[in-house]
Amino acid sequence: MTEVLPVAHGIVGRSDLPIPEWLFGWAAAVVLVVSFVALAVLWPEPRLSRATFKPLPRLSRVLLGRPLDLLCGLLGVALLGVTVYAGFDGSQTATANFAPTFVYVIFWLGLVGLSVLFGNVYRAFNPWRALGRAVSWVSRTAARGPLPAPLSYPERFGHWPAAVSIFLFAVLELAASDGDTPQTIAIAALVYSLIQFVGMALYGVEEWTERGDGFSVYFGLFARISPWGVRDGVVGLRLPLAGLADFRPLAGTVPLLAVTIGSVTFDGAAEAPIWTGIAPDISDFLQTLGLSPEKALEATFLIGLVAAISVVYGFYMLGVRGARSVGGGFTASELSRAFVASLVPIAFAYVAAHYFTLLLYQGQAILSLSTNPFGFLASNPLGEVGTDIFGTADRSIDYGVIGATSAWYWMVGFVVLGHVAALTAAHDKALTIYSDVKLAVRSQYWMLAVMVGFTSLALWLLSQANQ
Amino acid sequence: MSKATRWFLVVLALAVAIVAFAIAQPGEDDGGEQGNAGETSAETAPTATAPSAPKPPPDGPDATVIELTGHAVDEVSDIEVAKGDPVRLIVRSDEPDDIHIHGYDLERPAGPGKPARFMFPATIEGIFEIESHEAEHVGKDALIARLVVEPS
Repeated sequence: MTEVLPVAHGIVGRSDLPIPEWLFGWAAAVVLVVSFVALAVLWPEPRLSRATFKPLPRLSRVLLGRPLDLLCGLLGVALLGVTVYAGFDGSQTATANFAPTFVYVIFWLGLVGLSVLFGNVYRAFNPWRALGRAVSWVSRTAARGPLPAPLSYPERFGHWPAAVSIFLFAVLELAASDGDTPQTIAIAALVYSLIQFVGMALYGVEEWTERGDGFSVYFGLFARISPWGVRDGVVGLRLPLAGLADFRPLAGTVPLLAVTIGSVTFDGAAEAPIWTGIAPDISDFLQTLGLSPEKALEATFLIGLVAAISVVYGFYMLGVRGARSVGGGFTASELSRAFVASLVPIAFAYVAAHYFTLLLYQGQAILSLSTNPFGFLASNPLGEVGTDIFGTADRSIDYGVIGATSAWYWMVGFVVLGHVAALTAAHDKALTIYSDVKLAVRSQYWMLAVMVGFTSLALWLLSQANQ
Repeated sequence: MSKATRWFLVVLALAVAIVAFAIAQPGEDDGGEQGNAGETSAETAPTATAPSAPKPPPDGPDATVIELTGHAVDEVSDIEVAKGDPVRLIVRSDEPDDIHIHGYDLERPAGPGKPARFMFPATIEGIFEIESHEAEHVGKDALIARLVVEPS
C-alpha cells in the first residue's frame, strides 16, 4: 500500500508537471556555460557598490508622504484583522476561507514578487509597524512629550529573531498537519503580533521592524534586488542588485538565507521520489517509538525540513571555507557574511521557480475569497450567511492562463537568471573586499561552485517534482 | 581583455544557448495557451444521464475504473493523458460519496450501484487531484487519484 503523504499546501488542487529531461539538460548546460563566460567577462572593478543612485524627490514625497503611509498602513491592519477574524469565525474549510490563501499565497508569495519589482513596498503595508507607530503616536500625544528612549537592540540578536520567525512559518506551512486550518493561521497571526508588539516596545518601532520582524526582514531582502530603493529618506532608482551591495549582514543573516532556500528545497523535494520514498519509513520508525500516526508524520516532515536547511547551510559554509583557503586573512564568519547577499537572488530563483504557478493560479482564488472572506455559502442551515462584497463570488480559477510548457520556461528562466544575478553580486562583492584582484577571482571559483550547486539542485528538483 | 572581446564572448554564449535550445526542444509548439478551448463542453458530457451511451473515441484510452472502499483506495493511481485526449473515468463506491476533479472542477455523486462517470477532454495541462469529498469525515486522506495531463 502506498502511504499518501499530506500535501502541505492543502489549499491547492493542482501541481506542476516535472520539467522534461531535455529542458533539464539544456538548462544545466547553460548554467555551466554562463558561469565560465561570467568568470571571463565580468568587470575587473566593483560596479554595484559604486553604482549611482538617482533620487526622485517629487515621486518620493508622494510615496513616502504621510497620506499614503497612513492609507497603506490602514489597509495592512485591516487585512490582518480580516485574516484573524475569518480564521476564527469563518468556515474551517481551508479552500473556502480567506485566511489560508491570503497568508500562504498573496502575502507570502505575492509580496516576494512585488518586492523584487517595486522595492520595499511591504514597509508601507506592514500592519505591525503601522500599529506600533499608531500606539507610539497616541502615547506621545497623551504624555505631551517624548517617550523614554527604547533599549538599544542587542548586536548578538541580529537577524536571529527573523530567522526563527521564518523557520516557524515554514514549519507551519510545510510540516504542521493543520497548518492550513483557518483557526491555526489566526492563532499564529495573533502570537506573531504579540511578539512584534513586545519587540517594538522594547527596542523601538523602526529598529525592531528593520531587524527583528521576520516578514519585514524577509521581504526587505528581496527588495534589494529591485531597481527601486530609498537612500537618505528619498526614493530613487539604482542598478538592479545594487541594493545587495549596500546590505549589511548581521548575526543570523546566513541562517535566515539557509532557512529560506532550505524550506523551498524541502517543499520541492517533498513532491519528489527521493522524499516520498523514504518518508513512510521514517514515519513508521517514529511510530514504533510511540508517536501517533499524525504526530509521526509531522515529525517526519519536520526532520526533512531541518535536514534540507542544514544541507543548504552546510554547503554554503563549505564554499566559504574554500574561499577562505585562497588567503586574504578573513575568518569564515566574515566571509560567510560578506557573500550572503549574493544568496538572495538564488533564494528568489528558488521561490519564483517553485511557487510561480501557485501564485498564478491559486492567487486568482483571492477574488472569490475576498468577496466572501468567511467562506459561508449563500445560506446554510446554521443560519450563517455568505457575503458578496465585491460581486466576484462566482469567479473561478482559470487554469488556462499559461500552459505547462510556458510554465516550464518561466521556471527555468527564473533559475538561470537567479544564477547569473548571484554570480554578479558575489563577483562584485569579492572585488570590494579583496585588495588583490587575483585573490578576488580565486575566491570566486569557490563561490561559483556554490552557486552552480544550488542552481543544479533547483533544476533537479524541478525535474523531479510530482513524479 | 578588451571590451569588444567581452561582448563577443557574451554574444557567443547566448548564441550557443539558443542553438542548443533549438536542437534540444522536441516539439514545435508551446501548445498551452488555449487551455479553456474545450472546457465548456466538459460539463455537458452526457455520461451522467446515459451511463452506457458514451462510445470510446477511436484513439482514446479505455476508461479508468477506481474502486472506493469506505471512501478510500488501496493505492493512489495516476491517470495519464496528453492534452486534448478524452478522459474517461468511472469511480465505483460502496458508500455514497462525491467525487471531485480539481482544476476541471467536475463533481459527481457516486454510490452503491451508481458509479460516478466522467468523460471530458483534457484541456488543461498539469497535475490535478481527484478527491473523495466524504473521506475526510471518516478520517481518511481525500486523494483517490491524480489526473496527469501532459502537453501534446
